[in-house]
Amino acid sequence: MTFWEHFQIWLRAYLILSLFSFMYRDNKFYKFSEHVFAGLSAGYYAGLIWHTVIIQQLIDPMFVDGKWYLVFPGILGILMFARLSRNYTWVSRVSLAFVMGSTAGIYLISNLHGLVLKQSAATMISFADRGGFAATVLQVLVVVGVITTLVYFYFSKEHKGFLGGTARVGIWFIMIAFGAHFGYTVMGRISLLIGRIQFLVFDWWGGSIRSLF
Amino acid sequence: MPGIWDKIATIDRRWIYFLMALSILFPTIFVFKFPVEITVEARQLYDAIDALPDSSIIMLTFDYYPSARAETEPMSKAALRHMFSKDMQIVTLSNIPLGGPTMAENTTREIAMEFNKVYGVDYVNLGYKANYVAVMQGMASSIESIFPTDWTGTPLSELPLMLKVKNYRDISFIYVVADNATVDYWISIVNAQYGIPVGAGVTAVSAPKMYAFVESGQMTGLLGGMKGAAEYERLINHEDMAMRGMDAQSMAHFTIIFLVIIGNIGMFVMSAPKSRIGTKRD
Repeated sequence: MTFWEHFQIWLRAYLILSLFSFMYRDNKFYKFSEHVFAGLSAGYYAGLIWHTVIIQQLIDPMFVDGKWYLVFPGILGILMFARLSRNYTWVSRVSLAFVMGSTAGIYLISNLHGLVLKQSAATMISFADRGGFAATVLQVLVVVGVITTLVYFYFSKEHKGFLGGTARVGIWFIMIAFGAHFGYTVMGRISLLIGRIQFLVFDWWGGSIRSLF
Repeated sequence: MPGIWDKIATIDRRWIYFLMALSILFPTIFVFKFPVEITVEARQLYDAIDALPDSSIIMLTFDYYPSARAETEPMSKAALRHMFSKDMQIVTLSNIPLGGPTMAENTTREIAMEFNKVYGVDYVNLGYKANYVAVMQGMASSIESIFPTDWTGTPLSELPLMLKVKNYRDISFIYVVADNATVDYWISIVNAQYGIPVGAGVTAVSAPKMYAFVESGQMTGLLGGMKGAAEYERLINHEDMAMRGMDAQSMAHFTIIFLVIIGNIGMFVMSAPKSRIGTKRD
């Protein structure tokens, strides 16, 4: 293992342990690591955008490939900096209007075509030939769950009588969904901790420390 | 004098952190090999890739931040091993600015070396471009218009693999590894509008939402969290860090369940009328 690899591993271990130290109490090591992370992220992001967007998709195509029409999106981008001036903030709204309009158009189509219609269609399939009795029961559950949950979010009429009963069934489905989400979230967070502990055990302790001492 | 439940109710939370750390550290050092069952969704993803002809071109996206590596990197590595073992050609990219392209580069190169694969011929890393919705839309007409060069700055026209890949029509399958909402757009834009099959490995936090896409047929297979990664490692018969992590995962879950049970018993005991504290809880 080279000096540089040792250095990287020790730096990572230091930052991990510094951030974990917050669980005991707030301290200077934690604060230092937190500030390093924030600063590094901002610097890296700015450099990456400069290189991959400004240079590769604006400057080079304009001056090397002669695509001068790109001056218009370039100007729209520059107008965004008008937000830094109190008197000329309104100028940035031109760019924002363009972004909002195009984004709304793209998202409207993709969400309607790719999510709403497809997901709705998935609840309207035949119960037969879906892989036996158990699969049919599950499909019925999906349909009941979708309808009762939608009824729960219908607020134009007071939830009483049949509507109220249906909405209460919907709450059960929502609660079960929350439970599934929470269980998965716990698993996800534990996985992140496992990843860091695996690094400390295998790379730092088992790799660097044991080869050094 | 306070009873045992009073003591538990006022325990310093740092003891719980310590217990959790132990419950993960212990199985990380000593292997238990808890069983890992293969789910239908993981099998579906494996079968979809396995059924593709050898030498197919696959797009593999590294749409995750370094913070989610523990869950997502084993998925990427297992998928790369599976694809390279079938001599598939792989185009990687990332829609995540912080660390995504670097992880794509390092992970792909590491696995490619195991299979003696050559950069530019067997795999290419396109890197990162901002605004993933525009990237996904734009690649439908021309990948080169969005990524004029690869991650190292080499023009795509100088990479033999990219001479064969102009747009989505040249891609057989898109395998998304993600820790965020980009999966939604790979489905709602690329799958829905261009008909390219999409499979995904996602973090556990985002997995529940994705099952709806599998059920509707919009997604071809799914890996959920570290468990999903472990399943794929088992399917390709190459057990790695995810399988190793599942011991710790199971032990941590046992600990949490134990703490939840103890906490609930304590709550019922302490909220009884004769409780020493005497505070009725809602």
